[in-house]
Amino acid sequence: MNEQAVYLSDKLNAILAGAGSLLPELVLVLFFLLLVTLDLFKAKSIKRLLPWLALTGMFWVLVLQVLGGYTSGDEPFLNLLLSDGLARFGGILFSAAGIFTVLLSLQLKRLEKLQEGRGEFYALVLILVLGLNLMAKSVNLLMVFLAIETVSIASYILTLTFKTEKRAVEAGLKYVLYGALSAGVMLYGMSFFYGLTGTLNFSSENFVMGLLQADGLLVTVAAILILAGFFFKISAAPFHFWAPDVYQGAPMPVVALFSTGPKMAGILVILRFINNFTDATAFADVQLLLGVAAIATLVVGNFTALWQRTPRRLLAYSSVSHAGFLLTALLAFGTSYTSGVLFYLTVLLFMNFGIFLLLQVAEEKNGVQTLEDFSGLGRLQPYFGVMAILYLLSLTGLPPLAGFMGKLLIFSNVWEAYTLGGNNMLLVLLVTGILLTGVALFYYIKIPYYLFFKRNQSRENLVISPSEKLLLALFALPLLVLFFKPDLLLRWIEQLLAQTL
Amino acid sequence: MDFILSSLIFTPLLAALVVLLLPVHLQKPIKAVTLLGALVQMGLSILLYFRFDGSAFANGQQGYQFVEKLNWIGFSLGNLGRFQIDYFVGVDGVSISMVLLTGIVGVIGVISSWTITKNVKGYFLLYLLLLTSVMGCFLALDFFLFYLFFEFMLLPMYFLIGIWGGPKREYASIKFFIYTLVGSLFILLVMIGLYTSVIDPQATAMQMGLLEQGKAAGTEVLTQVQQMLQRNQISNYNLVRTFSIPAMMEPANFIPNSLLHVLSGTILWDLPLRFIAFLLLFAGFAIKVPSVPVHTWLPDAHVEAPTPISVLLAAILLKVGGYGLIRIVYPIFPDAGAYFAVLVGGLGVLSIIYGAMNALAMKDLKKLIAYSSVSHMGFVLLGLASLTVEGVNGAIYMMFSHGIISAMLFLVVGVIYDRAHDRMIHNFRGLANTMPAYTAFVVIAFFASLGMPGFSGFISELLVLVGGFGAPEATGLLPRWLTVVAVFGLLLSAAYYLWTLQRMFFGKFWIFPELREHASITDLNTREYLMLVPLAVLALLFGIFPHLLLDKISLTVNGFTEMVLLRGQEQLGLIFSTLK
Repeated sequence: MNEQAVYLSDKLNAILAGAGSLLPELVLVLFFLLLVTLDLFKAKSIKRLLPWLALTGMFWVLVLQVLGGYTSGDEPFLNLLLSDGLARFGGILFSAAGIFTVLLSLQLKRLEKLQEGRGEFYALVLILVLGLNLMAKSVNLLMVFLAIETVSIASYILTLTFKTEKRAVEAGLKYVLYGALSAGVMLYGMSFFYGLTGTLNFSSENFVMGLLQADGLLVTVAAILILAGFFFKISAAPFHFWAPDVYQGAPMPVVALFSTGPKMAGILVILRFINNFTDATAFADVQLLLGVAAIATLVVGNFTALWQRTPRRLLAYSSVSHAGFLLTALLAFGTSYTSGVLFYLTVLLFMNFGIFLLLQVAEEKNGVQTLEDFSGLGRLQPYFGVMAILYLLSLTGLPPLAGFMGKLLIFSNVWEAYTLGGNNMLLVLLVTGILLTGVALFYYIKIPYYLFFKRNQSRENLVISPSEKLLLALFALPLLVLFFKPDLLLRWIEQLLAQTL
Repeated sequence: MDFILSSLIFTPLLAALVVLLLPVHLQKPIKAVTLLGALVQMGLSILLYFRFDGSAFANGQQGYQFVEKLNWIGFSLGNLGRFQIDYFVGVDGVSISMVLLTGIVGVIGVISSWTITKNVKGYFLLYLLLLTSVMGCFLALDFFLFYLFFEFMLLPMYFLIGIWGGPKREYASIKFFIYTLVGSLFILLVMIGLYTSVIDPQATAMQMGLLEQGKAAGTEVLTQVQQMLQRNQISNYNLVRTFSIPAMMEPANFIPNSLLHVLSGTILWDLPLRFIAFLLLFAGFAIKVPSVPVHTWLPDAHVEAPTPISVLLAAILLKVGGYGLIRIVYPIFPDAGAYFAVLVGGLGVLSIIYGAMNALAMKDLKKLIAYSSVSHMGFVLLGLASLTVEGVNGAIYMMFSHGIISAMLFLVVGVIYDRAHDRMIHNFRGLANTMPAYTAFVVIAFFASLGMPGFSGFISELLVLVGGFGAPEATGLLPRWLTVVAVFGLLLSAAYYLWTLQRMFFGKFWIFPELREHASITDLNTREYLMLVPLAVLALLFGIFPHLLLDKISLTVNGFTEMVLLRGQEQLGLIFSTLK
């Protein structure tokens, strides 16, 4: 009895002592509760307040994480959550993604008119951001699972924001089915790891030691199982099948969020997890597996995108191909690839929100459903056209835009790793990645092609509101700045990473 | 420091900003601003030409003059040292000719664009961006900077062909874009490999504390750093990787264990990795040159592009390919350059003959000119591959002279197209009767292009052929029969030009009946004189006084051939010694 009391009080003390490191998450929870409660009131004035409340919450979290100082960051909270520089930078990206999502949805008339579930929408965005934060902080397999499921459940509901639409329902159902399957497989893999190493804490020494002693084949199988769950979140092949349907069916701000938030968090989880598999001889199979997955993702993403007729599906496959690039980046063992990955994630955030906002404007104002519907819009509205070119070139990875810098950093890390280790797979990855950029141009350029080269058939003029113009410029500016001065961001990332890792 | 080079690059960009701010309907001011921008750029390039000292080779940064070097991106990679990109521009004998050419043709292009009516603002905006990026390409001495401008050329060109082009413009523009992009991806791959392998000795010395910040290093310090590097005595942390092209040219700057080091002994598909890197770079630039068999984008792009854009494409953009070979590929990989001389020269001769034969068969006058470009650019490859002083001089001279003459050729095609809205050779006969002045310029352009003595084309072909014939003795890189075959290219080009003259311009005046309704066959107007006369004068001037250009370039070329040959043989020996 007494023993238990001591144990309990110890535990409580630890929780209280470590709670400071969870300040951003606590703020998010607070605002979530506030939003849900206020949503119960019917008054219009309160309803109108909800998005701004969500914005305030996430902005607070953003500022908290940029300023830092709320945690010493070296002790994991209850051996579950580590608030290090990596998680902090991730948190900044997630809050930004959340803020951008709300800003995008404020521009979406259909969502603003929604009678039911508008408050929920914003509350769910908050919860999703919370889950992302937890994913980035997790150093424990069970915690990873919980965080991923938090994100997933929020995602399923967000996909179904427009419940009356057939396509949304189809997308939501597919998403849930795939999600449930991959969650199960991932959990199965986790149980293997627990059996093999006796610990769920994958950042501990025991975990690596256990893996090194275990049977190689078993480790590989377990890794395949667990990676299936992670790949699902970042929409890497062969677990990307949900992406095109969800991208087609979900509201645009949500799609923009899916293409960035969970992908970024998933990459951070994989980054932490495969730190255990850097040993080239013991884990050659696991590395080969990751390499093959990266190549498959790149090839599938880029080549399937070539055949797409709707912009949403095209961008879904483009997002798959970006997952491939990120996986490639993670394989540059022995180099300081983390900063390159974080740089790429930052760039991805701005590119994706920009292009999806653009698509949202085109869809809302001009009913653009297929690529052909873009015909002539660029000539009518040069601002729109120029912005489209900017984002698409950055997605392709051409100078002078930050997308190029991101790819350059990744490829130079991979080359460096190849020089160090002489692993031929890296060379194949490098060549595949670079050559597929040529393929990528071929499908991305379709949009400017219709925008500028095709005539529009008696189409009313596209009107872009000033706030949309401002947002478009806001997302585009970092793409230019980060090309010409990438060291500004890279230095900051290095500083954050140097604090604790 | 002198900012003439930066002004050269950024003047059109400044003009572009002004154009951007002007309202769409002010077409005259937009054109005027563009013309002003191009004129200033030309003025600066002519000024640079006169200020450039052709006899001062060893002056300053390895023979580069008017050098500007600023830290642009610097970033620590932790245990892998530092990462450095500089804004690094300079001019030497090779670039001075291209800068002059760009300045002149840039203005001619604006005058030729004067009749554009469709979306004037967009057109001139893109035109100015194109001028900036081309000029940047010719002046950059940092590989990253070069690549930035090289890639940025694609986009304005894509839209200029795709929006203002002919009936099949969409196909032509996407073909151009994809071809060139794939080429530039090859270049990107090698660029990444080079930058991870090469250090900047000066910056490394600073990093190691051997040198005070901001001070220029003496040669002793640099040699000391290079020796320490080769002995593996510099810790990874202190290595400053660089994109600087001059640094990449020094084999002593390669990190010992890096894959592109001469002694790395890395083999891929039975070839040393350096050879593969050379082939990739060569492929990238050969697409731009263009060389057979990767030339197929060119006829399409030329035929569909509006006249001024064809002029720019033929006169300047193609030169970036040859320029890249001279600036980047050969100096950095002299070993592979010597090893693959027959391949490069062979492709050159193939382009000469195949291009000329195609030109002979063309029914469309513009396509004929496009294939003649392929044929003439073959001479650049042949001259370069010979690695003789005459050959390389000839290659550069050919690039300059072809720039002037092909601009003229495409302009004369534009003249007939403006009047008849057709340019099929078999639709016209006896044009000399109604358009005597026009015919005179056509004759000048054709004769200049086919290598008539007195025109610049003659000098360049002569130099290349002399170089080619001398190569077996001087450098031993090319067999003599290759040059002998190339001579037949001259015959063929005489054939297609003279035959065209005979078919289109001589005899009794006749044009295809269906064209008569819309055609008004009048002689040249003032604007056209304004473009054709200066070009004709230049072609003559550089044909009669070749020293005007050769004085500026020959010292650089001497240094280039000497270095490439010497290092090439030496490094080839080292590479093969590691393979045994």
